[in-house]
Amino acid sequence: MTPLSPSPVWKLELRGVSKTFRSSHGDYPALKGLDVSAAPGEFVCLLGPSGCGKTTALNIIAGLEQADKGDVLIDGRPVGGPGPDRGLIFQEAALFPWLNVRDNVAFGLAAQGVPHRERMRLADSHLEMVHLQEFAAASVHQLSGGMKQRVALARALALNPQVLLMDEPFAALDAQTREALHLELQSLWSATRKTIVFVTHNVREALVLGDRVLLLSARPGHVKREFRCELPRPRPMESHTLVDLAQTVMQDLRSEVLAAQQEARRERRSP
Amino acid sequence: MSGARRRLLFFAGLLVLWEVLVRLHLWPDYVIPSPLAVARSLVDGLVSGVLPRAILISLRRVALGYGVSLLIGLPLGLLLGRTRLLQDTLGTLVLGLQALPSICWLPLALLWFGLSETAIGFVVVMGAVLSITLSTADGVRNTPPLYLRAARTMGAHGWRLYAGVILPSALPAILSGMKLGWSFAWRSLMAAELIYITTGLGQVLTLGRELNDMTRVLSVMLVIIAIGLLTDYAVFRPAEQRVRQRWGLQGGS
Ligand SMILES: Nc1ncnc2c1ncn2[C@@H]1O[C@H](COP(=O)(O)OP(=O)(O)OP(=O)(O)O)[C@@H](O)[C@H]1O
Ligand SMILES: [Mg+2]
Repeated sequence: MTPLSPSPVWKLELRGVSKTFRSSHGDYPALKGLDVSAAPGEFVCLLGPSGCGKTTALNIIAGLEQADKGDVLIDGRPVGGPGPDRGLIFQEAALFPWLNVRDNVAFGLAAQGVPHRERMRLADSHLEMVHLQEFAAASVHQLSGGMKQRVALARALALNPQVLLMDEPFAALDAQTREALHLELQSLWSATRKTIVFVTHNVREALVLGDRVLLLSARPGHVKREFRCELPRPRPMESHTLVDLAQTVMQDLRSEVLAAQQEARRERRSP
Repeated sequence: MSGARRRLLFFAGLLVLWEVLVRLHLWPDYVIPSPLAVARSLVDGLVSGVLPRAILISLRRVALGYGVSLLIGLPLGLLLGRTRLLQDTLGTLVLGLQALPSICWLPLALLWFGLSETAIGFVVVMGAVLSITLSTADGVRNTPPLYLRAARTMGAHGWRLYAGVILPSALPAILSGMKLGWSFAWRSLMAAELIYITTGLGQVLTLGRELNDMTRVLSVMLVIIAIGLLTDYAVFRPAEQRVRQRWGLQGGS
């Protein structure tokens, strides 16, 4: 509870962000009045039905797309285009196959003008953070899906971003690998205290990872409800409190999924 | 290994069948000579220096024409792939010209450049440059958006985005364009040398016809095939294989 402090100092703040995709078929509102805020070092999860605009929201924060309305602030300052203060991690690792693992991690550093020696040192130390130092010289196609995602994590962290944006980064992995990466992400997070915005449509995942879980509505997306999760970490997936909380969130999410489906059906009927 | 053996057996069988057909005397010798006679003519041509000389001349021409095609096609393709305006204008022109067999440029080339090496080189370039340009443009245009988004969030833009992401991601397409371009260059040259009598392999081929020397015609055809296959197997296939494996476009085997 922080009732008495004057408006808290947010690391990241989205205020009334709206975005409509326009095409020849007509307008397609993806976000409408989205408010999200994250305190420094906070782990915020965005949870919502498919197509509700989660990726769009992250793209807007990352500066890859522009909001039609509303503000995106980092430390109170509006963001422009993409920048190294925000790292983005995708569902696919998006590593460059023509570079070896170390050079992949160093790619962004080169773009920042970091000299070669320093680049290699930073790349190696970040590979060590994700326990892949032996794979520095390996090529990308030799890595498993989970290892690729860890390299992507190292690549994003090497740029020392203020905010880490993660778009369903573990959705394509099997359950065991995903759980291992949850633990790894949490220990990285406690070590680096990055502010993280993590998108998922897996309720359990959101509750295992997040300090706060924001439930988004069906498209056009906006925050419908907010859940705090203050269980001690690391949180086992099977803990009773977590399972109970998941039940509640699941109920809410289900009604949003239904709403999304109805919306889709209505659209199909009236093109 | 077993693939190589299968291939060897197939071609050995083909040769035997050819020899057997000839021995049955279904056709006169000057229509279908025996494989042995063709081999003899091939050796004669090689020893007498006629074939080596012609091969050298043709190879020099194709190398020159192909080199020029690369110098024009690669930069042009890179530009076309990234510039909407050029793509819609010049790109459409290139696509249209590709429908024209390159040998059709020969009359024009002769009028422009006279009976010269330049005229032949022009035909070779027109054969190779279009497919190199189009493949390069295709590769550049089809850079996975995911790569571009990842690179941009890491702060890459301008030439670094181009040289560090777009170009390497287009490399498989560029290589197959280069491979296609090479085979077009070789075919265009042979066509040009056949029609426009000059030195080179094509001329030896025409000479064979004029002398009614079927063994010579066939031996030169074999040389033309061999050179085309050799460059493919020695240069383009290994390069393509390596890139495709590295880029994760096929299971490494
Ligand atoms: N470039 C675009 N042009 C047109 N429509 C788009 C574009 N990008 C997204 N959309 C639409 O906007 C809506 C929100 O898309 P978005 O990708 O943000 O959803 P999401 O919540 O990430 O979904 P998922 O959980 O399936 O990844 C979708 O209905 C999508 O069809
Ligand atoms: Mg998405």
